[in-house]
Amino acid sequence: MRKIKKQKFYLLALLLPFILFVVGFEIGPLVAMLRDSFHADDGIQVTIQQYVTIFKSKFYLQAIQNSLVISLVSAVISVIIAVIAAYSFTKFSQKVQNRLVMIANMTSNFEGIPLSFSFIILLGNNGLFTLLFSKLGLDVFAGFNLYSWTGLIFVYIYFQIPLAVMLIYPSYQGIKKQWKEASSLLGGTKLSFWLHIGIPVLLPSIAGTFSILFANAMGAYATAYALVGSNYNLLSLQIASLVSSDVTLKPQLGSAMGVLLASAMIGAMWFNNRMMRRIRRDLR
Amino acid sequence: MSYVTIDQVTKGYHHQVVLENISLTLKKGEFATLLGQSGCGKSTLLRSIAGLEDVDSGSIFIDGKDITHISPRQREVGMVFQSYALFPNMNVFDNIAYGLKMKKAKNIKTRVTKMIELVDLVGKEQSYPHQLSGGQQQRVALARALVMEPKVLLLDEPLSALDAKIRKNLQKELRRIQKELEITTIFVTHDQEEAMTMSDRIFVMNKGKIVQSGSPVEIYTSPVNTFVAKFIGNYNVLSMEVFHKLVHSTELNGKEIAIRPEVLQIVSANEGHLGLHDNWGIKGLVKDVSMTGNVLRYEVETEGAAFLVDNLHHKGKMFEQGAQVQIFVPKKECIIL
Repeated sequence: MRKIKKQKFYLLALLLPFILFVVGFEIGPLVAMLRDSFHADDGIQVTIQQYVTIFKSKFYLQAIQNSLVISLVSAVISVIIAVIAAYSFTKFSQKVQNRLVMIANMTSNFEGIPLSFSFIILLGNNGLFTLLFSKLGLDVFAGFNLYSWTGLIFVYIYFQIPLAVMLIYPSYQGIKKQWKEASSLLGGTKLSFWLHIGIPVLLPSIAGTFSILFANAMGAYATAYALVGSNYNLLSLQIASLVSSDVTLKPQLGSAMGVLLASAMIGAMWFNNRMMRRIRRDLR
Repeated sequence: MSYVTIDQVTKGYHHQVVLENISLTLKKGEFATLLGQSGCGKSTLLRSIAGLEDVDSGSIFIDGKDITHISPRQREVGMVFQSYALFPNMNVFDNIAYGLKMKKAKNIKTRVTKMIELVDLVGKEQSYPHQLSGGQQQRVALARALVMEPKVLLLDEPLSALDAKIRKNLQKELRRIQKELEITTIFVTHDQEEAMTMSDRIFVMNKGKIVQSGSPVEIYTSPVNTFVAKFIGNYNVLSMEVFHKLVHSTELNGKEIAIRPEVLQIVSANEGHLGLHDNWGIKGLVKDVSMTGNVLRYEVETEGAAFLVDNLHHKGKMFEQGAQVQIFVPKKECIIL
């Protein structure tokens, strides 16, 4: 008995750095954010004024709306592209598949300032392709402005796709060849297989990926900051300016917006889960 | 008039022949088994009939129609897989109804309910595959294939993932359902005992060829070569030269001789002769003895050959390892290969 207790103690001791890290850098800030969001600007008086300010301000409501729209749009488009791309991966030989996954893995880590910089160099006003195509007389990018809403969505989708592919690809391995064979022997076409079996089986993974992409886009800061600076009104950019700006330093208001950002992410996950369970009744 | 005809079917993978000139015919309502070791081509043949594999040459006919080059969904065959292959997102009812829905059939509810009764799954309609036992899942797979009223039912080792007792029950049930519906069935197995109990006709396959076909009794009592003799019934196969030396007689002639273990009689070495006119006696030493319940299996070492001898397990009549014995070989039970 004593030996087992001792063993457990050591195991817990090994876990200590992780526990400290989670408490200090995740739970701690979360509690602080929640607490600050219910305080006035002086940091002493307890109030819900910060939330009232947000919901009364057209400017902040627009930031929330913009963030929700860009996250939803980029997540939906990326998931659709990733479902098709991951399926096409599975049609290659194992060797090619491994390479493709490696490329997706590498590119999924490519985001933030370097990504924005690459886009500016390639597709900015004086970007390589922009100039090249205009010299060639092709106005492919004539109507395209990288520093606009379209440009921002474009970049968001770009960094979301590899991540989505990485998350969806493994679930294709769970689609058994014999389900397809059984379906075809029972008179089903390829389309009916995917409609009735393939996609419903993939759905939990698609829904899970959607939640992650949505959260990823909601929280994305550096990419947007480098690309549009303060020209575009996004929740993450507003929070940053409220907690670290020299002009409008209002950490309590920033915290309240942070709480709303987190709530939106949790809400999206909850909604996702509910929808999925309604469709895949076998998972109950 | 044959109902299923397979005519000189050949198939290879990567320069290796998997099916070599296979021809067979089945009557309507017949229960046929393709029996062989893994890799002998039996599953490939079944999958070729289903249309899940293309054949390189030859033709397949069902009910007079050439189906060699048409898609699986137009072949009107049903198939049950070893791994059941049930659709995990559908409950029992929907799994069985899937094919009918694809065909836009009428009376789906009545037909599915009837099938659920046939396979004895009443009350499980709303269960999902992961909530069912292996045996129950296999019944669903069977019902899903049968509800389509296929011309031929193909079963690819459907019972091999189940434990012994459930397997025995399902064997009986499968046969009952097959007889009740009078459906032409092709069953694939590597288990000779299963093939014996279930089939009207067995096709023994080896290295992509059919080496023997016949009723279970024919296959068991008259194997045509060493492979069938060893695979089907643990036959003792000896070269004729060795056999002549053992029995001091050249009465039989041929290349090899096969003797079933259960026709041999074992007595102690000093016991009298057992009708020497009809039997040959061979002296030997019990090297090993094992019990399979009702049967005692002896491994007897003689001068130049080892014999397997199966005797019924009688109380107080058992030879220990190392015992000097005599085995009697009935002359009429010797099969010349």
